Amino acid sequence: MSSNCESTISRGYKAKRIIKEIYAYVILVVVVAVLSMLKGELFQRGNFLFPANVANLLRMSVPILMISSAFTLIFITGNMDLSVGSILSLTTVVNAILVLNGFSFLVSLIIVVALGVLLGTINGFLVMKLRITPVIATLITMNAYQGLARYLVPPGISSITNTETQKMPEWMGFFSKGQVFMGLSWAFIVAIVLLIALVILQKKTVFGKYLVAAGGNRTAAELSGINVVKVVWGVYILLGAVSALAGVARASYLLIGEPYTGVGAETEAIIACLLGGTVFSGGEGSVVKSFVGALIIVCLTFGLKSVIPEYWQLLAKGAVLVFAVVLNHLLSKERIAS
Amino acid sequence: MRKNESNMKNRSLAGKLSNESYLNRVMFLVLITLFAIASMTIKNYFSTATALNLVANNWYIVILGVGVTFLLVSGHLDMSVGGIVAMAGVLSAYFCQPANEGFSELGQGLGMPYGVAILLTLLCCLVIGALNALFIAKMRVASIIVTLGTMSIARGIGQVAALGAQRSAGLPDIFGVIGNVPLFGPIKIAAAIAALLVIAALFIEKKTSFGRRTYLIGANREAARLSGVKVERHIALLYLLSSLLAGITGILLASEMKAGISTRGSGFEFSALVVTLLGGASIDGGVGSVLGMVIGAMILGVVSSAAYGMLLRPEWQFILKAIVTFLAIIAQRYLLDRRNK
Repeated sequence: MSSNCESTISRGYKAKRIIKEIYAYVILVVVVAVLSMLKGELFQRGNFLFPANVANLLRMSVPILMISSAFTLIFITGNMDLSVGSILSLTTVVNAILVLNGFSFLVSLIIVVALGVLLGTINGFLVMKLRITPVIATLITMNAYQGLARYLVPPGISSITNTETQKMPEWMGFFSKGQVFMGLSWAFIVAIVLLIALVILQKKTVFGKYLVAAGGNRTAAELSGINVVKVVWGVYILLGAVSALAGVARASYLLIGEPYTGVGAETEAIIACLLGGTVFSGGEGSVVKSFVGALIIVCLTFGLKSVIPEYWQLLAKGAVLVFAVVLNHLLSKERIAS
Repeated sequence: MRKNESNMKNRSLAGKLSNESYLNRVMFLVLITLFAIASMTIKNYFSTATALNLVANNWYIVILGVGVTFLLVSGHLDMSVGGIVAMAGVLSAYFCQPANEGFSELGQGLGMPYGVAILLTLLCCLVIGALNALFIAKMRVASIIVTLGTMSIARGIGQVAALGAQRSAGLPDIFGVIGNVPLFGPIKIAAAIAALLVIAALFIEKKTSFGRRTYLIGANREAARLSGVKVERHIALLYLLSSLLAGITGILLASEMKAGISTRGSGFEFSALVVTLLGGASIDGGVGSVLGMVIGAMILGVVSSAAYGMLLRPEWQFILKAIVTFLAIIAQRYLLDRRNK
């Protein structure tokens, strides 16, 4: 009797585990299937899955894919970074300014990523050294960075763009728009390389184990000799650098330095991670699935834009976030029960 | 010897004053100092007009701050208030625009009497609050994630109802009344409503078991539960209260401008949080006060009007808010650490 009962439980447990493993992919397939049945005006040749269309979508969505994959790590440590969107805005503006003033691609890339590292270091310092609650600390830096981004754009104009004396060079758009491989851009390839690197970091290195330990039980992690302050600070720095890289991609895609481009990016990253099954209290998460979650959001935003007016976007985003929370809650609750 | 004496003095002071009133006094001193500095450095800053404008321009943050303070004391965040302000403004306009008269879609409303429109709007705000309550109190999801979602939903409803723009055409005259009843000078009736709400909130905070339970939940949720506090119901009530206050704010602001604008109230959630933090509240829960929040709102008001007076670019408001909050958190923690050593 008891063994019978056990086997039912373990079978149920197994089923739930499988659901947990694959549901992000299932949602993506469903979303793509539904969108490809709709005939949107924006879709080229009326089909969502038309190759050029998909390639364009992927080129466009590089920043959010990058940020979402790295955001998983901060969730795993049980922390929060609301400033990623503002870092994206600020680095987009800075990159545009640098390129406009004649810096070469590589030099401006290095400067911007260094700036991202600095911004991430500030976040980490506030959270880990000064011990300000992550949400509050990154809300503060979110506003500071956003203000700085707006401040760097001279008064009277809304974004960094061509002036009478200065022109954006021809190669500005190449990183995000140039088609190097099957219509995909360098930026997208970088995003994939970043994804692979993050997966290796999370699964194959000691650092990845430390992340889980720090997010699962901080005291236990500290007692077993892990320097939690350094580990989490490192993740904040990594996230800052990745957001800066995303800023380079965004500037290259927009061809201008738009100071409000990152508004809401943190919400999108959170949705992506939740859709990917990351547990927001820490200890559990998968970079690949967050990447899939980001793909879902990108498809939804782009798909919805072509079917219903733009002003539905925000409501849809909020609804998806709530849906992701419910899904996440149900699955993690079942995990506890079994 | 002397050091010893001052130590003893500190001790005896610590016996008399709670940490809360200590912080409130310090922040009040900061407020006076900032106002004095601003008066000395900026021409024409020291005037009754400035003082009146401080009240006239900050009442809405105070109303929002009341709800956010209670939530923060209990250890929760509410980022949805700004979205609810926008939604309430647009919906209150939509409900009482004439039903079959508008030439354009944006002039087309539901043609309700204003009173009914207000009640219905507040009901919609309570629905958002109930969503917050359901997810945060019942399902125990992190409050920041849920309220970021409901912020998008509330503002999204506002944008959809206003078709991405604003509703101002064909509004009845009564729509513009309650936000524009003058009291004296630039101060309107809304400021008086804010003052009444603050007095009520002070009473609830200090004199009722509801208020004291909020502190208990924030300080130790488990202990509160074990001592018979209905924690879930309490937090749910706080979220409903916060959304209701945000709804009132939205209706008043819409009435003041005589338009329901879907971009209204962006950043209000941060401002409300900032003034609460300036007042000495802590997200770790159990600490904070409505009085401190009001002082915090005044400090923020002085800082922004001083920045305006010094002709700084408006982008500085973002940065200044961030710096002021950061300094306040660090300074308050330092002071309390030293005091309670």
